[in-house]
Amino acid sequence: MSDLPQPLSPGQQAGRRFRNNRTAVGAAVYLVVLVVLVLGWPLLLALLGGSFAHDHAPDQLSDAQFSPPSGQHWFGTDVHGRDVFSRVLYGAQISLLVGLVGTLVSLVIGVVWGAVAGYVGGRVDSFLMRVVDILYSLPTIIFIIVLITTLGEVLKQSHLVTQSPFMGAALRVLLLFVGLGAISWLTMARIVRGQVLSLRTRAFVEASRTLGAGPVWVLQKHIIPNIFGVVITYLALTMPAIVLYEAFLSYLGLGVQPPMASWGTLMAEGVGQINPIRIYWWLIFFPGGVMVLTLLALNFIGDGLRDAWDIKAK
Amino acid sequence: MFLHQRAWRFYLPARFFFILGVVLGLSGCLRHEPPADVTIINGAEPESMDPQIITGQADMRIVQGLFEGLMRLDPQTARAVPAMAERYEISPDGKVYTFHLRTNLVWSTGEPIQAADYVYAWHRALAPETASEYAGQLYYIKNGEAYNNGKLADANQVGVHALDALTLRVELEHPTAFFIELCAFPTLYLVPRQTIEKYGDGWTRARPLPSCGAFELVDWRLNDKARLRKNPRYWDAVNTRSEIIDLLPIAGATTALNVYEQERADIVWDKTLVPSELLDVLIHRPDFHTFSYLGTMFVRFNITRKPFDDPRVRRALGMAIDRERIVKKITRGGEPATSSLVPPGVANYDPVPGLDYNPEAARKLLAEAGYPGGKGFPRFTDLVYGVKLYEDIGVEMQQMWRENLGITMELRPLEWKVYLGAQAHLDYEVCQASWIGDYNDAQTFLGMFTSEDGNNHTGWKNPEYDALIARAGDQTDLKVREHLFQQAETLLVRDQAPIVPVYVYMGLNYFRTNRVEGIYQNLLDDHPLQAIHRMGAPH
Repeated sequence: MSDLPQPLSPGQQAGRRFRNNRTAVGAAVYLVVLVVLVLGWPLLLALLGGSFAHDHAPDQLSDAQFSPPSGQHWFGTDVHGRDVFSRVLYGAQISLLVGLVGTLVSLVIGVVWGAVAGYVGGRVDSFLMRVVDILYSLPTIIFIIVLITTLGEVLKQSHLVTQSPFMGAALRVLLLFVGLGAISWLTMARIVRGQVLSLRTRAFVEASRTLGAGPVWVLQKHIIPNIFGVVITYLALTMPAIVLYEAFLSYLGLGVQPPMASWGTLMAEGVGQINPIRIYWWLIFFPGGVMVLTLLALNFIGDGLRDAWDIKAK
Repeated sequence: MFLHQRAWRFYLPARFFFILGVVLGLSGCLRHEPPADVTIINGAEPESMDPQIITGQADMRIVQGLFEGLMRLDPQTARAVPAMAERYEISPDGKVYTFHLRTNLVWSTGEPIQAADYVYAWHRALAPETASEYAGQLYYIKNGEAYNNGKLADANQVGVHALDALTLRVELEHPTAFFIELCAFPTLYLVPRQTIEKYGDGWTRARPLPSCGAFELVDWRLNDKARLRKNPRYWDAVNTRSEIIDLLPIAGATTALNVYEQERADIVWDKTLVPSELLDVLIHRPDFHTFSYLGTMFVRFNITRKPFDDPRVRRALGMAIDRERIVKKITRGGEPATSSLVPPGVANYDPVPGLDYNPEAARKLLAEAGYPGGKGFPRFTDLVYGVKLYEDIGVEMQQMWRENLGITMELRPLEWKVYLGAQAHLDYEVCQASWIGDYNDAQTFLGMFTSEDGNNHTGWKNPEYDALIARAGDQTDLKVREHLFQQAETLLVRDQAPIVPVYVYMGLNYFRTNRVEGIYQNLLDDHPLQAIHRMGAPH
């Protein structure tokens, strides 16, 4: 790269390496298409109106019960005659939203927690890291289940939920946010702390401090930008894990309640149809297929980002 | 060295067989149980095995094998025939029954059975501290209701007395035509006094558990199985042709079908255990049976919670349920949609039609009640027994109410025991429920919605309704009685609507017709275990 007139910034170099990774780019394209569909489909239905929108509304009961995939219902219909294609996209809203929120929580809490622990050090560090250790030592899925059920019961009685219909509907999703957010940031905090610990003693940080920079300045200008690569890589790997957790919880019946759907509840419905007489394969194949593809895509992107930011592999 | 090596080689096969033997022996320890003669998939895990506590059909089907009453049901017709009572006499005015017990009655543990034991058992069923939800089945006995309500403290004034060791005299409040049928009902079964006095409420956990039915309980493992063995001391043991019967608590329809298809079960005997989406295929199979019987699926409202205290709201919700769609698309077993609680086919009674599907009128009613277009109507939950069939019906109603009335309902599926508890404690707003006739009379359906009945579970108390049912109870003229019942049912399903009937059940079960026999289709969907046996079993 020495022949280039101007040296590229680390971010630009990483971007270039990422673009050369075909699998990662393919995965990114798939995700963009999925997100556009998820956001665009309800809009499209609203714009088109008429019988098409009516037949494809995710909650609309119809007489076309268990019809296999066809030109009209691309992914077939379920026991209530609802369009599975619409329901998969509708479910994706919840699944991806929960994944996104979990990832954001991991970004905000994890980075701040880790950075403070690593930078301040000493007793603060010990305290913050012991908290992480304690949360780590709890069995994750049981912790989430207990959190969701107890918190759910408490909130259900509260004035806010009983009075406002919107809050009632959103309660389940909020609980998922809280439950999954609660565990998503732990590894991130550890990774960030480790990075900060090693950066803190580097010469350029020492120099900045000698020149009178305060901790906020140092964190903002020197440390955070330098751990950016690691953070973004880890975020891309956190998201599929959270989407998977959400599917698992919803599969167990702890996630969203009908008529809402997420990939987990759709798969649970599909699995209920496996029997020796006749299998409505589209009920399990399409929700499962879309979910597997999405998880794969997210993992490929995570891998691509890791390779792109990995300085040693250059 | 040499010797040692030789010995090694020589013994190698011996060692191999020794280890093999140990492994087989160990695995033998794990599976030492002999196979059952008949394996039945029974539905949800039983709530209890106490005849006076249970309310669910699945529970009763097990308990029926373990305990017995004065009468038992004929497996073919489901009519009561003499069991522990060899014969009985009814006084000319129809109010005094004298039962003569058999002389060869003993518990499976050897203690003799006497008429006084029945007095104890019926007192226990009525005692307020037993809290039997089915105590209403004994209200026909003189002073039964008063004792159960706590208005009468002295149990001896209840109209059941032992004249001698083998004679039981029962006095009724009014002549009750179906009292003999009631004597075959689990709440009126005999329970072992000595065990209950020793262990208290947990008496069913005693081993050996004394039983007076055709079978004794070998083992009841939670969520695994209940295993019954033939009771050799049963008075009619010669006619029990199964040695061991296993009852599996499997509640999922698809799981039940899978287990059956793998030949790990011979009988699947409940409508909730049939995957309804496969009915179009199943219904044509020779091992699959459908039959009509006395059972209704209905929706309960909790009258003690707003806004369901308003009859207009209840009627609006009832009129917004498209029953035809539910029976055509979800249940699919040929169930007739119904707007009346008492199913067709009940003796001496012609049911009254209730609220028809009419979304337009429903919207109007809801607007009158103060919720035009569903505006301001609170979110509410629908309590469901969490099996696929009922959840699917729930999703349908959810959408019907949303579309027709603009109101939002949330499903609350619960496990069987928790579901029963929530229903009994009125911890619900709307609830999907069912009722299977306990005997062939309109009383078994209409009687439970009187104010004090333990199975009311709606909080609905209506003096006019109570009076009509009481007057019908007094009545011996069948025509007048029918008319009174019809007036009561009109109140129940049309004017007040604390419940909204949805459809009449079809009996659905499947079993290997070439391997088991003794299971018949009857109006109560009742299949006494004693009659069920493997084909060619010794007599």
